Amino acid sequence: MAHINCIKDGEIIVFANTLLFSKDALFKCLYWYGDKFHTSVSFADVDNYCVKIKPLSTAAINSEDLELYQQKLERDLIDFQLRDVVTKETQNIRDLIIAKAFSNGEFDEDPPGDVSDPVGFNPSL
Amino acid sequence: MIESKANRKFKEAAFYNSQNDGGYFLLPFKFHRLNGEKEILVNEVGDYLILPTGTTATIVNRQISKENNSELYGDLIANFFISEEAIHPLIDVLATRYRTKKHFLNYFTGLHIFVISLRCEHTCFYCQVSRVTENRDQYDMSIQNIDRGIEIMFKSPNPHVTMEFQGGEALLAFDNIKYAVEKSEKIAGEIGKQITFVICTNLALVNEEILYYCKEHKILISTSLDGPQSIHDSNRHKPHASSYALAIKGIKLSREILGEDQVSALMTTTTLSLEHPIEIVDEYYNMGFPGIFLRNISPYGFALRTEKSKYSTDKFIEFYKKALGRILEYNFQGHYFTEDLARIYLTKILTPFNTGFVDMQSPAGLINGVIVFNYDGGVYATDESRMLAEQKDFTFKLGTLNDEYKDLFFGAKAQEIAQVWSNEALAGCSECAFQAYCGADPVHHHATQGDMYGYRPTSAFCQKNMEIIRYLIELMESEPKIKKIFESWISKK
Repeated sequence: MAHINCIKDGEIIVFANTLLFSKDALFKCLYWYGDKFHTSVSFADVDNYCVKIKPLSTAAINSEDLELYQQKLERDLIDFQLRDVVTKETQNIRDLIIAKAFSNGEFDEDPPGDVSDPVGFNPSL
Repeated sequence: MIESKANRKFKEAAFYNSQNDGGYFLLPFKFHRLNGEKEILVNEVGDYLILPTGTTATIVNRQISKENNSELYGDLIANFFISEEAIHPLIDVLATRYRTKKHFLNYFTGLHIFVISLRCEHTCFYCQVSRVTENRDQYDMSIQNIDRGIEIMFKSPNPHVTMEFQGGEALLAFDNIKYAVEKSEKIAGEIGKQITFVICTNLALVNEEILYYCKEHKILISTSLDGPQSIHDSNRHKPHASSYALAIKGIKLSREILGEDQVSALMTTTTLSLEHPIEIVDEYYNMGFPGIFLRNISPYGFALRTEKSKYSTDKFIEFYKKALGRILEYNFQGHYFTEDLARIYLTKILTPFNTGFVDMQSPAGLINGVIVFNYDGGVYATDESRMLAEQKDFTFKLGTLNDEYKDLFFGAKAQEIAQVWSNEALAGCSECAFQAYCGADPVHHHATQGDMYGYRPTSAFCQKNMEIIRYLIELMESEPKIKKIFESWISKK
């Protein structure tokens, strides 16, 4: 069944495929909506998350603004998924950088090559 | 053409280009949409690239290649955003850059604030400290507490400590300052530490005798100047006198005796100030200061008890942009005149270095960079922490001067605060593109949100920093001459 993003009864409903979006990305994205919206995440079915946001009564968001917020939510979900990919793909290298940065030299490696003749102009070789 | 030599280690460009099959590895970076057309990518050490919106997606999805996007590809490789090898061959360079950014952690606490007296002869409505009358001697720091504070200060591993005297009005307890300075000078000489002295004063009580003493002991003066007389006197009330007239007279006398660069001034932005950004900047310029620090009011102490000092972050940002515009006008005319908050951000954005500004560090500057010894012997994590204490909120009280150094600096309270003092590990900050330029402020979040962890979507700290950083970058990108001016602020030329 195809899920269509929509605004229904003053609530923005957006679907996210579980193969394409991580749960971490969803929650990190929704974090930024908590000041103005009630937020919820559930499974629409086995392949799709259903994200719902509804304006808080104190948020002064009118119905015309909802479409813009829907567009923003759709865009933010993609942005946070990209961030999630970068974070997870680079976690090990980041740990390594920080470990090296705060080490006392025990993780340093000798640079490759002959330090006294880095460009290889030594005619005796 | 130079012939290739057999023993030459540098190869032709084609050799390097053929080393990789077109695949690449991501290095840690973050991104943020600046506007509809541009996004900024910032790597782990704060280097940035501004690229068309959607570029991050193409990088992450491996849609760029050396052949088709050679310039972008080269920029990404050269600036540590991607690598052609799983472990970047220059990872030690990147690690050294990271260490340089966190260099402020190397020496631990430098700034030691001694609240030498809580007495004050001013009645400023926004005063961050609960002032008491001039006549109550019990609000001065005792000699025993001064001695103990000095003892703790010299236990800091930092080879260069700063002893800053605050109030109330510090000069009301000038004899105690003299005692503290002379004792500290002696100990510093004996154990080989460098020490800098600062007196924070409204200058109303300053005289030649005090200033000659300051000159003899190389004591710096830090004062308050909120703008022209109408604003300053309205903000900083002194019964039966003009605080402005006394401050100006004091600044002039201090410069005459100590030298121009030994006297600095700070302003606080009130609701009245918000309407006068140009006049405030002009006042600092006309007084011959090399710059101004545009500071919003701290959400502590008396400041929030009155409507007169409450305003939204939006209003401050609007004020900030107008004032910065005026500052840039002076620079366009060829004058060197800085905005110091911008200078802090710009140092982080444009150089490999960080700053010593404790409010904008991660891990936060509290305890790591600054400690406060209150007049009554209480030890607090920051100046703002003791302001909270004046309202009976002792969340950031680390102990008393009678406690051991390790219990104050590494005790249970310090460890509790340490859980939330790194923006790398805070929700909302952990993937923020401006993380490397910003900091963590547990005290601010506790004071404004009742939770030292903080909630970024409603955080005034986050809102202000995000927008000012974004604005500075936008200005630099829009006008090369502004970038040159900003660079001159950092290089101080």
